[in-house]
Amino acid sequence: MRLGDPVFRPFVYVSLACGEQSTTLLEGLVDTDADAVLASDLLSEQLGIDLADNEGETPHAVGGRTLMARYKTVSLRLHPRDGSLREYREWEAQVGFVQGWHSYSLVLLGSVGFLDCFTVTASRFAQAVAVEDRDAFDERFGAVLSP
Amino acid sequence: MQPIRTDFKGYEGKYVAIDARTGKIVIADEDPRVVLEKAKGRDHVAVRGRVPYADEPVHVGLG
Repeated sequence: MRLGDPVFRPFVYVSLACGEQSTTLLEGLVDTDADAVLASDLLSEQLGIDLADNEGETPHAVGGRTLMARYKTVSLRLHPRDGSLREYREWEAQVGFVQGWHSYSLVLLGSVGFLDCFTVTASRFAQAVAVEDRDAFDERFGAVLSP
Repeated sequence: MQPIRTDFKGYEGKYVAIDARTGKIVIADEDPRVVLEKAKGRDHVAVRGRVPYADEPVHVGLG
């Protein structure tokens, strides 16, 4: 609660997959301030991933603490708003698995690996998040060329 | 389209899983592993995370 009102967060339904293994359905927190997709290492256990065999490690400053993320490329699945496991859009991304992550979401969806794959619109007014194809942004606002 | 609301009262300090169609909490436990295990393979059931206590600081961004 903040000033007596509930705090709403922009969540979408995702799961992670690696080979034949997949996680349960998760509420992934969309975070434009995060540069990567980060997840609790509990999810790497569900996927049967050995994080000792990682693709790189990076420290992240989170909530006044420093957390080490060990990165591994896995598949991410975006599910519809009714949480159907059978329906999803799948893509691959490097996910930083963090030990001892105990927050209000077990997955953080940041820029590289999520926001660079889709056009995401969050409305506090509608209390909803819309995820569209990446090209939807250009169609709506015109092509923006990076410097 | 009406937003789905979840009533988290009584679940403070626990990890929860929610039925995405109704917003109702269907699994809760202090151990996130237990919630993940019980939710595994259940259609429409999504694991959120830990419900904060009312007197905990409100996180700004990832906490």
